[in-house]
Amino acid sequence: MADTLNPADFNERVTEYLEAVSGKPVEIKQLRPLAGGVTRDSWVIQAKLGDEFQQLVLRRDMMAEIDERALERDQEFLLMQAASAAGVLLPRPRWYCTETCILGAPFLIMDYVEGVSIGSQVVNLPELADARRRLPEQMGQQLACIHHIKTDNLTFLPRPRPGYSPAQETLVQMRVTLLKLGVHNPALVFALRWAEKHLPPGGEMVLLHGDFRIGNLIVTTDGLKGIVDWEFGQLGDPYQDLAWPCVRGWRYGRGEMQLGGIGEREPFLHAYEQASGRTIDRKIVDFWEIMGNLQWAVAALAQAQRHLSGKDTSVELASLGRRSAETQLEALRLIAQQEM
Amino acid sequence: MYDRPTLAELLEAVRAHLENQIVPLLKDDRKRYFQTLVAVNVLRVAERELLLSAEHLQAEWQRLNYVQKLDTLIPADPQAARDALAERNRKLSMQINDGDFDTAPQQAALFEHLLQTAVEQLQVANPKFLQSLALEDAERERQH
Repeated sequence: MADTLNPADFNERVTEYLEAVSGKPVEIKQLRPLAGGVTRDSWVIQAKLGDEFQQLVLRRDMMAEIDERALERDQEFLLMQAASAAGVLLPRPRWYCTETCILGAPFLIMDYVEGVSIGSQVVNLPELADARRRLPEQMGQQLACIHHIKTDNLTFLPRPRPGYSPAQETLVQMRVTLLKLGVHNPALVFALRWAEKHLPPGGEMVLLHGDFRIGNLIVTTDGLKGIVDWEFGQLGDPYQDLAWPCVRGWRYGRGEMQLGGIGEREPFLHAYEQASGRTIDRKIVDFWEIMGNLQWAVAALAQAQRHLSGKDTSVELASLGRRSAETQLEALRLIAQQEM
Repeated sequence: MYDRPTLAELLEAVRAHLENQIVPLLKDDRKRYFQTLVAVNVLRVAERELLLSAEHLQAEWQRLNYVQKLDTLIPADPQAARDALAERNRKLSMQINDGDFDTAPQQAALFEHLLQTAVEQLQVANPKFLQSLALEDAERERQH
């Protein structure tokens, strides 16, 4: 049903919904698509709610949900509220709806935050050069803030199974996926065995953003303005969030800049240490960078399988199976840099 | 015998058609535009595989002989060779998990093989990725 609402109906439904939740008369001035991902479609709403002009973003689920670890819209909303209350930079969450009868799928509405979030633009636009210089420190500070959030009320957050450290949990999930896919790839088998033999000591568990990287940060010439895409929020090892933005796949063509194509890793880690009071072992960040590459390598094969199984046919998903080798090679190169 | 175009030439003709005739028509449909660019790229991957797969198959087989300390002959039929290779990789995966490559010399030999296998995959799937890694390595060497 999500795909069959024509623009006029969609506009009308959104208007009715906003009137119902805000209790004000609503006039939509503009309703346009935002550069979409694969699992959600996003829309920018410019509207008058009563006397007030507001800009909002609506994010609606698509029919095929890709990841079972992703939070539901109401859970993502609660997580964003907790982050907002803690002073993290993110679009203020406004409303969520779990009904499918209104827009065809659950959706979330948040404030629109002006800025650039598309990775290749954040990395390459000349006007963002100053912003790029500021980003590593801002990213470190924001992560420290996120990792400090109390999670007692966020009982829905995925976490490692009992008795498993976050690293062990990540390892077993990858192994299970490979088993389900029927994949016997010696490079992955070797790398997972290496990881198992080099597990870092189990540390504290904190709230993780879960997908903290360039591509999920709204940036203006002033720097970081908002952190988006909270659907992979979970409890885990802070190092997971520290290493993920360093994974080569998120450097958008500037491979030599280890932090998301925009800067070096050290200023980011240093700012995190200063803001969090934690001392960060760089070797453990290295470990999780390897794990991040392996997660990508396995996920790429799983995406290809979605196409091959007929569940979700697309040439893009199919082609991902051949890109797994990029992160396999990167993982092997990183392992070689560690003592084997 | 098959008359020309060869398989590679046929793929090239489809690639050129999509890229030159179809992609320009899709500028207003962002999703289909990007998907078709991916399709064009996949055809390039297919052309490179046609060119390189026989050589890669041989090389991987020989490396496995070295790593697994065997001296088997690769089947002449290409499909049989691919099936046999898949079976050898299943076996290698088991051997790795059994700890057969945990000691230094065996691990070094395995590691080189795995690295080369990934490189060969990327020579087909994304040679630009290999080029950018090589440039980065060269630059880092230069700075030290």
